[in-house]
Amino acid sequence: MGFFVTTLIFLVVGIIASLCARICCNRGPSANLLHLTLIITATVCCWMMWAIVYLSQMKPLIVPILNESE
Amino acid sequence: MGERGRGGCCPPMDLMRSEPMQLVQLILPVESAHLAVSYLGDLGLIQIKDLNAEKSPFQRTYAIQIKRCGEMSRKLRFFRDQMSKAGLAPTTRSLPQDVLNLDDLEVKLGDLDAELVEINANGEKLQRSYNELMEYKLVLQKAGEFFNSALSSAEARQREYASHQSGEESLETPLLSELETANDLSKHVKLGFIAGLVTREKSMAFERILFRATRGNVFLKQAVVDEPVIDPVSGEKVEKNVFVVFFSGERAKNKILKICEAFGANRYSFSEDVSKKTQMITEVSGRLSELKSTIDAGAVHRGNLLQTIGEQFEQWNLLVRKEKAIYHTLNMLSIDVTKKCLVAEGWSPVFATKQIQEALHRATHDSKSQVDAIFQVLYTREMPPTYFRTNKFNSAFQEIVDAYGVAKYQEANPGVFTIVTFPFLFAVMFGDWGHGICLLLATLYFIVREKKLSSQKLGDIMEMTFGGRYVIMLMAIFSIYTGFIYNEFFSVPFELFASSAYACRDPSCRDSTTVGLIKVRDTYPFGVDPAWHGTRSELPFLNSLKMKMSILLGVAQMNLGIIMSFFNALFFKNSLNVWFQFIPQIIFLNSLFGYLSVLIIIKWCTGSQADLYHVMIYMFLSPTDELGENQLFPGQKTAQLVLLLLALVSVPWMLLPKPFLLKLQHSRQQGDSYAPLPDAEESLRSAANHDSHSHEEFEFSEVFVHQLIHTIEFVLGAVSNTASYLRLWALSLAHSELSVVFYEKVLLLAWGYNNVVILIVGIIVFICATVGVLLVMETLSAFLHALRLHWVEFQNKFYEGDGYKFYPFSLALLDHEEE
Repeated sequence: MGFFVTTLIFLVVGIIASLCARICCNRGPSANLLHLTLIITATVCCWMMWAIVYLSQMKPLIVPILNESE
Repeated sequence: MGERGRGGCCPPMDLMRSEPMQLVQLILPVESAHLAVSYLGDLGLIQIKDLNAEKSPFQRTYAIQIKRCGEMSRKLRFFRDQMSKAGLAPTTRSLPQDVLNLDDLEVKLGDLDAELVEINANGEKLQRSYNELMEYKLVLQKAGEFFNSALSSAEARQREYASHQSGEESLETPLLSELETANDLSKHVKLGFIAGLVTREKSMAFERILFRATRGNVFLKQAVVDEPVIDPVSGEKVEKNVFVVFFSGERAKNKILKICEAFGANRYSFSEDVSKKTQMITEVSGRLSELKSTIDAGAVHRGNLLQTIGEQFEQWNLLVRKEKAIYHTLNMLSIDVTKKCLVAEGWSPVFATKQIQEALHRATHDSKSQVDAIFQVLYTREMPPTYFRTNKFNSAFQEIVDAYGVAKYQEANPGVFTIVTFPFLFAVMFGDWGHGICLLLATLYFIVREKKLSSQKLGDIMEMTFGGRYVIMLMAIFSIYTGFIYNEFFSVPFELFASSAYACRDPSCRDSTTVGLIKVRDTYPFGVDPAWHGTRSELPFLNSLKMKMSILLGVAQMNLGIIMSFFNALFFKNSLNVWFQFIPQIIFLNSLFGYLSVLIIIKWCTGSQADLYHVMIYMFLSPTDELGENQLFPGQKTAQLVLLLLALVSVPWMLLPKPFLLKLQHSRQQGDSYAPLPDAEESLRSAANHDSHSHEEFEFSEVFVHQLIHTIEFVLGAVSNTASYLRLWALSLAHSELSVVFYEKVLLLAWGYNNVVILIVGIIVFICATVGVLLVMETLSAFLHALRLHWVEFQNKFYEGDGYKFYPFSLALLDHEEE
């Protein structure tokens, strides 16, 4: 699906999650900021992990070599 | 409050910094003091300082009350012992009775205590008499048998002898006829006897010592009692023998009596007369049944008493503990010279001001005191305790951070990011969505039954698991995510998101085992391509991927740590730290390891064959040489030179300017002719404690060495911490290899035999191995390593952690404390 499209999808999911958090647990500005920070951190972590695995497979230097028995 | 100016750099965030605390002074009139402390304890938001620290416990004002409370809790413990001996358990939530005050309770407890002690004593006495009578009965029966048999054999012999008399004299007739000796009264020796019971184990020794002491001039007859008898003295069942000792003479009697006493053998009087014997037996039996009914009635009475105690026990217990805590706290207040009011000093959060004032008002009102309590804020340079307002969700994460060290007052709390990064790093090491689902189900059980389990008393390990249920839940959710990324479900990959990107080079697939497949389609969109599983080149590929991933994640987390130190410097308005610590640190870390991360990404994006090890090594060894095959992007040589220079410059930048500037700052401070006076409202006693903080000595050499150590630690740490993050790769590899082994060598092997029994055995072994090794051991292992990464590699970039925790005086916590 392409790197940038999926990155965009992650961004959108992050925004939706923070909106949901704002809607269902609105407990004052400092608590909201905490929730927003947590959601941003989680989104960035998940995106980084996905991006690393995706990028490493884009132009591979080694390819799968099957076993003899298969 | 004596703090340096607080920064308004960023909007306030919950949990990021400690709640602002203030030192408050309360002046309470004596009559409302008790009630005030009680209400403050219910509120649980003030930590009272001990103003009487030099006094011994006996010199304090309320020592007598504490002694009374101690006496009452002793009585309550006694009741609890008695109840557990009787097999009654106190009802956990007793019916709400009217609130007793301490004096009434004391009187009531005293009465109950006296009554219970008396009942116990009486019961014991009765039981003892009962046991003695039982023994007496046994003696009567068994010794009676001796005498009966002896009498009958004597009669039989007399008759025999009489019949012999008429017969001929033969060799068997004794020389001295018995009848003659029997008739010779002057030669008669009066035989006395003693009857009693002795324990069977001691009976042999008893016999021997009797024999030796009386030189063999006694006759002992023993009879075994079949059932064990309750010994009146010890109250236990022991095996006993009935004995009868025949002796002659006063001295022998005394010796025998002493020996009986020494062996604990109980003696009972006994008469030879047969008729008297039967009379005694009936009498004793009658008394026995009487005693039994008395004892039973007593036991019932005791049971009732304990029952009534049991109903109110918990309530009384709680009351006594509360009062004790209140008196302990009252002892910490200092009493004014006029003895009319008590002064309390304590830490409380700023937001609690109103609540505290309200509690004091209520106390004044309820105790009908004339004078209101006074509440004022003191200014001090002492460091306040750290207080984070946590809920059930983030309290576990905060505890994880606090286990390393409690945050200094108002420094940035790593707990905020730990809530996400800790489960995430765990998941990187644990990635398998099958195992993640199992973990999630297990922890959902705990969460669903939260209310019920929190009031129960669980074992140690269960307690810890239950306390960390939200941590484990997040860990499981992230594990499911990374499981999808690594494409492992109990080590089996699935083609979930699209078809695999790899296919054979040609339709016959000749080369698939030698040269391998080729990439024909777009990259597999989410996670590791399923074609890799089970191939020969799987490990080289995954190892390269996971190692580079660990470096990238590690550099990211360390940068986050340094940025947190920047926020700390901004908050405490420490520009020195910003220019001469934060900036060189960022430059150093990123010019080396940030550059490495960029190279990794460029290599992946361009597919270049350059070896990154060589690139980094030659960057240091021969930076001016031509790059040749190590070239990844144009202008690389100049870029590397610039970065190397930046890194070299940043080291003295970190080391040298700060100590000199600190010295300059200090001398500028000393130059001021005015020193701040201690505030007039500061209590004299607290001033004595603050002396040590007011004038800090400035030792230049100490500061310089401190900065040198800090710099060396950072520079060397940059390399070692980055390498430390490779444990993410190592544990993830271990987990997936274990998973593969259990799946292929246990489950598939069992499946291959086509035998139901072997299959079932194989499944059981697989489940046990998965749960024991992967779900328990690997979880603990990954938990530990993720924890270490946080405590050391992340927190040493910015965390000082030398504060102390806020422990408010709270009566609600008492419930959980003393159990």
